[in-house]
This record gives sequence, C-alpha cells and structure tokens, in this order.
Amino acid sequence: MSTTNPQSDAPTDAPGRPVDRARARRRSKQRRRIANVAGLMASLVLTGSLYSVFAPAQAADDTSESAAEAAGRELYERSCITCHGENLEGEPNRGPSLIGVGEAAVYFQVHTGRMPLVRQEADAPDKPTIFSDEEIDQLMAYIQANGGGPTLPSGNLRDGDLAEGGELFRLNCASCHNFVGEGGALSSGKAAPSLGDSNDLEIYTAMLSGPENMPVFGDNQLTPEEKRSIINYVQTIKSQADPGGAGIGRIGPVAEGLVIWIVGIGALMFGIFWMGSKA
Amino acid sequence: MNAHDTRPGSSGGADTPGPLHGGPDADYTPEQLAAMSREELDLLGARYDGVEVLHVDPGPEPGSRMEKRAVRQVGWTFAGAGISAFLFLVVYAGSGWFLPEWNWATEGTTWSAMFNPLLGLFMGLAFTLAGVGLVLYTKKLLPHETAVQDKHDGSHFDRVTTGATLVGGLHNSGLARRKLLTRSLGFMGAAFGLMLIAPLGGLIKNPNTGNPLGRTSWAEGVRLLRDDGSPIRPGDQQPGSLETVFPAVPGGNLQSDAATMLIRLRPEQVAADRPKEGQEDFGYGDYVAYSKICTHAGCPVSLYEQETSRILCPCHQSQFDVTQGAKPVFGPATRSLPQLPITVDDEGYFVARSDYIEAVGPTYWNRERI
Repeated sequence: MSTTNPQSDAPTDAPGRPVDRARARRRSKQRRRIANVAGLMASLVLTGSLYSVFAPAQAADDTSESAAEAAGRELYERSCITCHGENLEGEPNRGPSLIGVGEAAVYFQVHTGRMPLVRQEADAPDKPTIFSDEEIDQLMAYIQANGGGPTLPSGNLRDGDLAEGGELFRLNCASCHNFVGEGGALSSGKAAPSLGDSNDLEIYTAMLSGPENMPVFGDNQLTPEEKRSIINYVQTIKSQADPGGAGIGRIGPVAEGLVIWIVGIGALMFGIFWMGSKA
Repeated sequence: MNAHDTRPGSSGGADTPGPLHGGPDADYTPEQLAAMSREELDLLGARYDGVEVLHVDPGPEPGSRMEKRAVRQVGWTFAGAGISAFLFLVVYAGSGWFLPEWNWATEGTTWSAMFNPLLGLFMGLAFTLAGVGLVLYTKKLLPHETAVQDKHDGSHFDRVTTGATLVGGLHNSGLARRKLLTRSLGFMGAAFGLMLIAPLGGLIKNPNTGNPLGRTSWAEGVRLLRDDGSPIRPGDQQPGSLETVFPAVPGGNLQSDAATMLIRLRPEQVAADRPKEGQEDFGYGDYVAYSKICTHAGCPVSLYEQETSRILCPCHQSQFDVTQGAKPVFGPATRSLPQLPITVDDEGYFVARSDYIEAVGPTYWNRERI
C-alpha cells in the first residue's frame, strides 16, 4: 500500500505544472525545479502520513499472530536449530530442511516424541513427548508461518467407511505396517512402527507428511475421506477382541504356527511318552 | 464240485460235519463242543489260530471295594465328558439367546473374546475326559492277559506249491496255444488303452504359445489406474510417494502380473537417478513406474523406503534401488524390477508407452529365448 501511494500522488501534482506554464511562460527553470522538489516533498509527506495511519493496524495484526510464533521460535532455537538450521534450511548430515513440511509434520514428529532426536541412528524411535500440547501448537505456528506446507485436518477423523478403509489399508499400508497395524521390519535396522498407540491425528499427519522412510500420501492420492476411512479401520481393529482368545502378537500364521508346533505338539508328545512309559 | 467244498473241513456253515472231513470239525464233534465252557472254547479257538495264552490277570473281584471304586472313577469321568459336551452346546446355542450375542463389533468385547476359547475348552475337555475314562476302564476293570502267537513265515513248501498254482493257471488258460485269443486280446488292450488316453490329448499343448509369461496387459496408450479405477494425473502424487497402479483393461486390477508401482521421486532422488541403459526416457518427469512383482520369487514388493530409495521384498528381504533402475542391492534377487515406460495422454492422464520390455516376475528356464 505504501508503494502505491507515491505513484497515486504524482498525477495530482502533475496538472499544476501545465497551469503554471500557461500563466507565465518566461519563468525560469529554477522555479520549475523548486515546484518539482515541492511536489516530491508533498508526496513524501503524504506517503509518510498515510503509512502512519495504516501501519499501526498492520503492526497490531503482526504482533497478535506472532505471539505464538515468537514462542515457537524460542522453542525452535532452543531444541531444533542444531539440526534444522537457523532458517529451517536444514544442516548437511544432521537434519532435513523444514521448509514446506507444514504443521502436519511438526505435529506428528513432536507429538509422537520422535523429535527432538536423541541421536542419529537407523530410525527415529517414538518416545514420551517432551513438549506440552501448547508448546506443540507454538512450534506448529512458527514452522507453518515460516515454511508453509500441509495443515492439520479438522472434524471427526474416523468419519469414514470401515470396509473401504480396510481395503485401502491393505493396499497402501499393510505391506509395511502389517494387516492389523502391528508394524514390521524394514532394511538395515529400520522398522515400520506399530500403530498400537497412535491417535487419529498422528495417523492422519503421518499419511499427509510421510515421516522418515514412509511414502507421502497427499490429498490427491488418498482423499481426506479415504484417510478418515483408513483411520476408522485402524482404530476399530485395534479395539476389537481377539476371537481366538489370544492374539499372539496378531502377526498371523507364523506366530500361530510356532505356538501350535511348540506348545500343541509338545503337549501331545508329552502325553504320548507318558502313555508309552506307563504301558 | 460245489461252493461248499472249497475249504477243507468246512461244512459250509451248517453245524453238522460235512461229507469231507478234516480240520477242527473232524477233531471235535458238536457234542464235545457243547460240553465245553465258554472259557475253554475261547482258549481252544485261540490255540487253533496259533495263539497261546500264557497268563491271565483277572480284573478286580466282582462286588469288591476295589471294583466299586474303579467303577465310580470311570463313571464320573464319562459323566464329566458328557457334561463338557453339553456345556459346549450351551455356549454354542446359547450365545445370542440367553447368553450375550457373540460378534466382531467393538462392544461386548469380553464375551466376544471368550466365546471361541470356551467352545474349544469344552470340546477339548469332553474329548480328554472320554479318553481318560477309556484308559481308566481298560487299566482298572478289564482282565489283563499275556499271549504268544506263532509267526507265519513262508517255507520252501509254500513257495513251490504257490508257484505250481500260478503256472497251472497260465497252462489252463491255454493262451500259449490259442493264438487267436492272444491276438484279439492284444488288439482289444491296445484299443482300450487308446480310448482311455486319447481324451487326455486335448490337455497337451505348448504352454508358451503367445508368450503368456512374457506379456502383460500393458500396451501403448493403456492408462494407469488406481485400484478403484480412477486415472492419475502427474499432479496427484506428492514427491516421495508410491501408488500401486493397474492397466485400464477389464479386470486389470485382478491381474497378478500387471501390478505396477508408480513412484514420484523427491528432487534429491531425481538428482541421483541413474536409470538403466536404454531406459533413460521410460520415466515421466519425476515419475517412474516399476513392476511390483519381485524378480526372485514373485512376491509383491511395495515396502518403499522413500529416504533410502529402497524397495523391499517382504518374502526373502531382496532390496531394489529405485534411483538405479530398481537394481537389486541386497538379497537373493538377481534381476532389476522391469520398468514400465510411461507418458501422459492428450487429457493429461498417465498412460503406458508399451508393455514391459522384459518378462515380469521370477526367472524361468527359457525366459531369455521367448
């Protein structure tokens, strides 16, 4: 706004000059110069006064927004700056850039306790959260304001079709996270975590941001409705009872086969030997 | 000769000695047998079968305290088995009637978790108690006897006489002399054999006709579809993402050899990307598409680590590097995942430029020659 004002002032100044010239053509160049300088001065004064009228309102907006951001910046500079850099640009061999990751990534990484990282290793393991919910909000505000990126969803995150969620989960997620979300091993010491203690928002933001080695599932790939369906499936299957009495880790036929081979056949062998020794 | 006389000493089932004597009926007249007790008859029969009872340990004295106790034990065990079986029926039929409904829903989880184990418990208990009852019955109430039986082993006499019987059969058939019979039998056998085998000939065909193992449904202009049948635009995926896609042909998402991974690389991956020689233009922008079928044993490889650019196979831990033309970098796989050449059609959706240029999935013996 301040940049447009001098331009809009200049034309109001311009018509004065032809009138002066029409009255007295023999006036010297110096007078024209004085008029120019006066016009410039007038426009500058007008600009300054206009700026002083509008600027306080803007400044007031800025300060109300940046209260959370400033607190977030403080937290960032205390806990994150070592690896992610002064301007979110990342540090080579330490941490990635945070420009464009958005508040979704911040929520997932900080709320699951993965960040701040204790040390560089194969995985960023989930730990007890060290920031309060308020501090996480401040960090999210700071990163969102300075880097931009995916934002948090709103509303009921389980508002989706259960059966469709199951199908999408098995197609997109089950290869790493197991068909009921128990997780599984990846390469070189990495692992896909269990979804056992993940809340709705963590699952949503993980899909949205693709933390660590997990692929990103943007909103054009899995729509928000499909994401909600998947969350509904994961959370429903977690709360269901094991129909067989014992889930045995819910990792499927390998564990079940192992138990029946060792415990079941062991018991049978014991019985057979006992009967043989009695006969 | 009649049927009654085929077994020496047999009277054909009548309780009178037959006209041909020999065997036990010659030794024991019906009167003699009628005079013998049940135990004596039992032992006599055993002796004629080559069994000699050496020692009999009779069960507990009838009416004794020991017998009564054993009868109580066995009886209660059988009763317990019956009660368990009945409880199985109660749980099975009662669920949803006078017991809570069993279901997979999240409510009523206690009963849902107990239903199947209770069924198993009661059925297992019923069978176990029935077995225990039978063992107790045998051990505590039945008499125990020690018996010896002669073992039959073929003698020289048996071998010679059996051989004579077999040769006698061939001689009696007269096939050595009656050439017409031999030839007609041979002709009949050959014709019968052909009749039975000929229909199987329809099953014999070259399995490689049309190269089914080396081709998939992908072809020039075939769109890449999601599992739900929707086409994909280059803007749909975020960098660092993977989507399983199928060819836009009827039933395409059920064809096990056509499943393909459409991967959008991150900028760092694009910078490091070194496609296979001759396949530099198979990708589209920062998108690449690789077969989802492992080249080792055909498992679906979609454990994608977007930071390390690796695709893992869950079956035998093969790992493929997406930025090196899906070259195997670990594990038993020896060939790269085949790359699908892709581009974008007039309407802006991804399409294949051709089929895979090599066979997808595990190696087979004549793969290179087809």
